[in-house]
Amino acid sequence: MTDSDRGVYDGGVPDNRAATAAPRAGFTPAVDDRIRLRFAADLLNLPVVRSVAGTVAALQDHDIDAISDFKLAVDEVCSTLITRAVPGSELECSFVRDGDLVCFEAAATTAAEVVVDTSSFGWRVLTTLTDRVDSWAGPGPDGQPTLHIYIARGRTGGTA
Amino acid sequence: MSAAPTAPEGSGTHEYTHLAPKFAELAELPQGDPRREAVRDALVTGHLPLAEHIATRFSHRGVAREDLVQVGTVGLINAVDRFDPARGIDFLSYAVPTIMGEVRRYFRDTAWSVRVPRRLKELHLTISAAGNELSQRLGRAPTPSEIAAHLDIPKEDVYEGLEAGQVYQSVSLDEALSAGEPGSDPLADTLGEDDAGLLGIEDHESLRPLIERLPERERTILLLRFFKNMTQTQIAERIGVSQMHVSRLLTKTLETLRTGLVEEPGKG
Repeated sequence: MTDSDRGVYDGGVPDNRAATAAPRAGFTPAVDDRIRLRFAADLLNLPVVRSVAGTVAALQDHDIDAISDFKLAVDEVCSTLITRAVPGSELECSFVRDGDLVCFEAAATTAAEVVVDTSSFGWRVLTTLTDRVDSWAGPGPDGQPTLHIYIARGRTGGTA
Repeated sequence: MSAAPTAPEGSGTHEYTHLAPKFAELAELPQGDPRREAVRDALVTGHLPLAEHIATRFSHRGVAREDLVQVGTVGLINAVDRFDPARGIDFLSYAVPTIMGEVRRYFRDTAWSVRVPRRLKELHLTISAAGNELSQRLGRAPTPSEIAAHLDIPKEDVYEGLEAGQVYQSVSLDEALSAGEPGSDPLADTLGEDDAGLLGIEDHESLRPLIERLPERERTILLLRFFKNMTQTQIAERIGVSQMHVSRLLTKTLETLRTGLVEEPGKG
């Protein structure tokens, strides 16, 4: 796999943190290769993200196992963030292709700084379904505590 | 009316007649009496064939019989709880409409909650079948372009068909595809084995009862994916359903577990 070539997300410090510094999941570059979604942090919106996730992975011609796993993982990421988000806040998400990987990143504003428990079942779900998982917390552009989760998934079996 | 659980009212005897005195017994026990539970359990268990019978009558309509039995059982429990023997009617004449009502509501609420055009349903069915066939041939899950090439349709149609399955509960399509014998795989034992796997998880104590409460097939699929690390295609083969059905069941199951994990601590 060539996924470390870009080194973009190494050490859990993604490069889009700069882009993140404006609106969180970045609307500063008017056009780039990311697909962005912004919606109210409400579980009712899950089918929308799930559906976009499926299409993004299908366009990359991943196998149907990888596509469904990616959708499940996106579902899990968004549920995790939504249940921790400040009521009335919004979720910012973006999809991007990184070599053979399809990547998803989402961020939510939280009341206090919270981290994702990496010994939880939810984390097990994410690590099983994807090839890379990362999560970090810190102040967002407006100084509010923000929780980020990043996942990336290649084809099943890891071959291109 | 088919030969049915509807027994002759009043005077007649039927296979459940021996249970009738238990309703009086239940009615006499005060609320909160620990003995109530045992009597109630006996009534529910004793009448289970009734729920199964009704489920069977609906089972050719595209929903798995085992799912319907569960729904029917919920109806039965409601009937047992609400039945008042003092009103002098036979339990069956009360229970049958209650159970059928529950099953009908299930069809109405879940099975076809979203109207999907027939073309999409058929496309979904075709793609699902092609997915199964190609998995067999390739020994792995196919990609959308492989499915498109196999069916000689545009890739866009494959994307559309893959998504169609998520919009509605196309249980019927998948049940039609699977070779039958629902839940026949004796994999329930995997739960015991996976205790070790669960122990590594912080919230395993709140998780375990939620997992145990899952229907057998859903539990098996969950354990195979997250504790045995099998792919969805491998699981589909093992259980005898389509990969798309596995995907849908996993989505539903994870949602159930998440809801349970969020709610449980609050209640305690």
